[in-house]
Amino acid sequence: MTHQPMNPTPDAEDALLPVEGIAGSRRSFLRLAGFGIASTVLAGCSRGPVRRAVTYLEAPDGIVAGRGYKMATTCAGCTARCGALARCRDGRPIKLEGLPDHPLSGGGLCAVGQAEVLSLYDAQRFDGPRAARAKTTWANADREVARVLAKVRKDGGKVRVLTETVTSPSTQAAIDGFCALVKDGRHVVYDALSSSAILDAHERTHGRRVLPRYRFDRAEVIASFDADFLGTWISPVGFARDYASGRRPDGDGAKMSRHWQFEARVSLTGGRADRRLRVAPWETGAALAGLCDLLGKKAGRTSPASGSAASAPHGDHLAGLADELWAARGRSIVVCGDDDVGTQTLANLANDLLGNYGTTVDLERPSRQKLGRDGALSELRTELASGQVALLIVDGANPVYDLAFPGGLGGAIEKAGLLVSTAGLEDETSQLAHVVCPSPHFLEAWDDAEPIEGILSLTQPTVPPLRDARSLRASLSVWSGGAADDRALVEAHWKQSVHPRAVPEQRFATFFRQALHDGFIELPARRRDPAPFQLAGVRLPDPPAKPDGGRLAVVVYPKVSMLDGRHAHNPWLQELADPVSRIAWESYAVLSPATAERLDVAEGDVVRLRTDADGSPVALPVHLQLGQHDGVVAVARGYGRSGTDRFADIGPDWWEGEATVGPGGRIGESAAHWLTVHGETIRTTGTAVAIATTSDHRALASVQEYHSLVVPPHLAPEHGEIRRAARTVELDRFREDPEHEIHGAHHHPTGNLWPADHAPEGNRWGMVVDLSACTGCSGCVVACQAENNIPVVGRDEVQRHREMSWMRIDRYHQGDPDDVQISHQPMMCQHCDNAPCESVCPVLATIQSSDGLNQQVYNRCVGTRYCANTCPYKVRRFNWFEYPRKSELQNHALNPDVTVRSRGVMEKCSMCVQRIQEARIEARRQGVELRDGDIQVACQDSCPAQAITFGDLADPKSEVSKKAAGARAYRVLEETQVEPAVRYLAQVRNRRS
Amino acid sequence: MESTVPTETPPAQSPADVSLRGDGRPTVPPLITGNKTPADVTRDVCAPLERGATGLWWGAFLAALALLIVGIISVGYQIATGIGTWGLNRTVGWAFDITNFVFWVGIGHAGTLISAVLLLFRQKWRTSINRSAEAMTIFAVICAGLFPVIHMGRPWLAFWVFPYPNDRGPLWVNFRSALLWDVFAIGTYFTISLLFWYIGMIPDLATIRDRATGFRKKIMGWLSLGWDGAARTWARYEVACVLLAALATPLVVSVHSVVSSDFATSIVPGWHTTVFPPYFVIGAIFSGFAMVLTLLLIARKVMNFEDYITRRHIQAMCKVIVFTGSIVGLAYLTELFVAWYSGNPYEQFAFLNRMSGPMAWSYWIMVSCNVLSPQLLWFRKVRESIGAVFCLSLVINVGMWFERFVIIVTSLTRDFLPSSWASYAPTWIEVGSLVGGFGLFFTLFLLFCRVLPMIAMFEVKAVIRPQTHESKEGGS
Repeated sequence: MTHQPMNPTPDAEDALLPVEGIAGSRRSFLRLAGFGIASTVLAGCSRGPVRRAVTYLEAPDGIVAGRGYKMATTCAGCTARCGALARCRDGRPIKLEGLPDHPLSGGGLCAVGQAEVLSLYDAQRFDGPRAARAKTTWANADREVARVLAKVRKDGGKVRVLTETVTSPSTQAAIDGFCALVKDGRHVVYDALSSSAILDAHERTHGRRVLPRYRFDRAEVIASFDADFLGTWISPVGFARDYASGRRPDGDGAKMSRHWQFEARVSLTGGRADRRLRVAPWETGAALAGLCDLLGKKAGRTSPASGSAASAPHGDHLAGLADELWAARGRSIVVCGDDDVGTQTLANLANDLLGNYGTTVDLERPSRQKLGRDGALSELRTELASGQVALLIVDGANPVYDLAFPGGLGGAIEKAGLLVSTAGLEDETSQLAHVVCPSPHFLEAWDDAEPIEGILSLTQPTVPPLRDARSLRASLSVWSGGAADDRALVEAHWKQSVHPRAVPEQRFATFFRQALHDGFIELPARRRDPAPFQLAGVRLPDPPAKPDGGRLAVVVYPKVSMLDGRHAHNPWLQELADPVSRIAWESYAVLSPATAERLDVAEGDVVRLRTDADGSPVALPVHLQLGQHDGVVAVARGYGRSGTDRFADIGPDWWEGEATVGPGGRIGESAAHWLTVHGETIRTTGTAVAIATTSDHRALASVQEYHSLVVPPHLAPEHGEIRRAARTVELDRFREDPEHEIHGAHHHPTGNLWPADHAPEGNRWGMVVDLSACTGCSGCVVACQAENNIPVVGRDEVQRHREMSWMRIDRYHQGDPDDVQISHQPMMCQHCDNAPCESVCPVLATIQSSDGLNQQVYNRCVGTRYCANTCPYKVRRFNWFEYPRKSELQNHALNPDVTVRSRGVMEKCSMCVQRIQEARIEARRQGVELRDGDIQVACQDSCPAQAITFGDLADPKSEVSKKAAGARAYRVLEETQVEPAVRYLAQVRNRRS
Repeated sequence: MESTVPTETPPAQSPADVSLRGDGRPTVPPLITGNKTPADVTRDVCAPLERGATGLWWGAFLAALALLIVGIISVGYQIATGIGTWGLNRTVGWAFDITNFVFWVGIGHAGTLISAVLLLFRQKWRTSINRSAEAMTIFAVICAGLFPVIHMGRPWLAFWVFPYPNDRGPLWVNFRSALLWDVFAIGTYFTISLLFWYIGMIPDLATIRDRATGFRKKIMGWLSLGWDGAARTWARYEVACVLLAALATPLVVSVHSVVSSDFATSIVPGWHTTVFPPYFVIGAIFSGFAMVLTLLLIARKVMNFEDYITRRHIQAMCKVIVFTGSIVGLAYLTELFVAWYSGNPYEQFAFLNRMSGPMAWSYWIMVSCNVLSPQLLWFRKVRESIGAVFCLSLVINVGMWFERFVIIVTSLTRDFLPSSWASYAPTWIEVGSLVGGFGLFFTLFLLFCRVLPMIAMFEVKAVIRPQTHESKEGGS
């Protein structure tokens, strides 16, 4: 693939060749003919319709029809703004990948980011502006805004721009300029997934409202209080990468951080912790205060927290943690995800006592990924309620959905004189908006971002605009009397503000072109006065009250796939099984098994959650989670979004098939009404709810039925209680005797009585998955879905265990509720040398290639499913139906290199054989040898933790061979002698007894 | 099996069948009752063909046809829509489909066993039942053969499993796959069974020809291939029958051994078992005899054949059932022993899971139906009660269906990786295909009863009591 520096602007119509006709008439004919069961049909001479694709008369620069290229851009899936590479084909992006060398994300991209390419092709995106919910022209929309602006200038009135964190410096400049146009214009920032308390706490303790950049790579001891930093907190891709780099138990530069997690629900991060302790939301502050007290004693400093260790929960463990942190002063980190400013000031105090500021907690180059101030919302609410706001522009946020709680913005927003929404896709806010000026998708737009101070990245269009949209920056420019040319606006800002700070001696055009090619630039840090820690700023926590009378405290949490709900229209993300619960297409009330027993409810039983404040209860099915605090009920946010009724008929349509949507006609239920306003922040935990059982039951769309590697005790054979599929070892024991710890006492070297069936020649492709690095983030699952044209099958099919994903993340629980550990194991076709699937296929539809791949020949498969039955890893997926691909537009995201499979055919991981072939052809074309690393398979490509290595096992010098020879390497089910080509590196936990 | 049949089940000498005459000397109840003359035999057997269908027959036929229509709708919908209309999933790739397949292949075993093996061992009691048992075999194999075809994702491509010359280069079938062996095994079995059945029917077809007029005479004239009843014809005929019997005998063992290889040669715990070939063969004979009983107990009533299919036949079949049922029980125990003895934890888990896992109910249905209930047949009273035998034959049919279900489904639901364990429940469409299988089977059998001689007339004539014996040529 060539790396394109420039935006190719092919003609939109030419670039988007329709890909319909996947199921042509010949197949339908054969199918009909096949109804005569006993008759063998020897037809097939009719030709399918021929669709001619006319190539460019004059090809745009750098585009060769049918050849892929990549363009650097910036992911806008959330405010973390990771670097991304768009893999394009014929003038349109077909896949998003991480941008290697990006200083923040370093080549990683999460599930949400990878799924963004599908959102680009969402046919429901607004095409052009709307006024009063009807289509209008830009001129009319602009006239409407101009009218209000003129009125504001004349009669006064407030103008408010309400956005989520604006990471784009050029947009920020545009907003500032726009607000300055009127007397009372202001920019209000809030984040649905807020870090407002952290910023407020730093304002108190450091006099500067900043979000530090947390450096997990530099930390040897990590104490996280309810911060899901590997899953959804601030910048999970960057954090996962840093975290993984600090946990390399063997090899060169071996080091292993120690990770403590205190949390109420079980997060992705908590499941990976070396020591996880259950702390209720009302105890988090006390636990941190206790830690500060213990650290203060060691440092000989008193603080408001002094004396609180005695009453802190988990006192013994806190003492142990304090010792470990103290021993690693300056090389440790304390992070806190709580919404209470007091609790956050204690986290700051702990970091200051440990001397972590300046090392692991960076205030010099702070993060700009979360800048929202929850406190500003109450002010805005007052202004709105009193009708003072003449113009409210909402961008990048969905306040009507996010803030639909008592004291939130909720209904007040309707009182704005003119409500302008820039939503690209209809949402709750744009439904109320007087004018909608839709924003483009980031893959078709110009933009820039500064996620970390000094790290600037650019976004360039990878496709001609699919919709008539205009960015906020351009809209504001028009409303300020400027032009709407987005590229010019971004360039102008860079010329004025970025270029002089970067390389002023270089010509701007060269500089900008290089920056576009690279996707990012790094600027030297701004000079700043040091901000010393001010003890006076520390405030004691103000925790939510412990619910009484058998009620539970709600914990509203974001899921890896849904985040705050902005991606609820993305079917890939809806169908992505949550890495902790393994459930898709659903929101549910998570209870601990003990609480469920107390309430006498089981998995899938529907319960009603009722708060004191509002009378209407919310009905949700129950999901049981080992390790959750007994006093809480956790509910994911981002569900119950308007418009998700579009998924009602996704998936196959048949007599016994059921709709994907829930009883309310949407996917899941919104959890927003359980948020509360608490001082200057919005609290997501602690609302007390009473739980009433019902007689209803709703089978959850879970892809996993059994959650442990330990078989049920009453079925356990002697010595066979544990299935050692995902192996976990403790660091100390691993260092003592790795062989024994990984392979166990009964390990016998495997040998075969029979000669090799098919001796490999040339390459022997294989893979190594490092379970110690893998966080279970599921980015690879979506990557595989995008790369390999895997269909979306809908809730009913998932619930029937017919999900189609070639790659899955198996999740196993270990330990007891107070100390639960979660293992994640990415599982895909193991490409066995002695593949059981190959010998059983009567028609040779699955065979071994000469380079060791287990190949599936779709057009030879007759669908006996024998191969799937006999696969010990259960990685084969059958096309139970002709899965509908109704959206013509979304079919543009299909990878043209990969066959779209039709009904009745078996499929499975091909180790991205299309990428292997592409690299091979390219090497042959250039007349060079294929080098290690030339082939990057899709799951490996964007793994934030770099847990997956692919390469040639026949080459002893390849990375994959070296890792496969390591002490931690083992093969799943090696005792069956199927000789898999995928090795796993055992997970090492830094546990101390 | 071959060596045990003559020693264990020579019913004429079996003490249980021996009643005491008034003078205290034992006597054997006759095979055919009612003092039939050969002419009676011909008249009785041809009666259902020559008179119009009875109301009872119509009732049974319409019921069977209704089941068949349910099956046609279910299967038609499934083929039009996809295998997804069944309750299968990524973990359980086979359930009702292959269960039905193995079940019907098993049913098909009794026919060949009765005709071929008992012919070679000169068991005379087989004469009344062999014709219908063979017909049952043919129909059961037809049912069995359909399921592998409709269970394919793309059934219109089913011909790909045949190694036919093609223009796709070296594209060939996979001779390592047990599914391919099935194709050959079932194909051979069906061919031989059909031939054997047809050849065995020729003298009787000639009898009907001679009695019939018009259209039937024409058809039967073709079908009886110019049978003239001459001594030379009979001599050659008997040689052909013995030859075919000798050809068919090994198939009794081979077919189900090959079918069991579908499981035994794979890696799935609970399938990967060397005891499967004999276990499957004996189970097939067991279930086949149970189905013969079910059918004949109905037929003797409906078609007025009580004098031809007598208590003695029923007794004899009951003894085969109790014998084979006990071997089946032994096979279940052997399986458990080997799982324990192997020391293979996956294997051990598979059997513990069968016995007390989430689908343990199906295992215990299987054990109680197949091992425990046939033991009642040790009691003469039970054997002599037509009602009890009929109920037991149904119970055994249910049990043997569940045996295959247990082997296939419970093994698949929980194999190696706990993450992939999945439960299974059939859809209505899947149940419809099961019902349709029975519908097809009974429809064909009832048609057979109406148009072909259900009892081998010429063979029965050879076993009627000496005091009424005439030359067998007299009837034909």
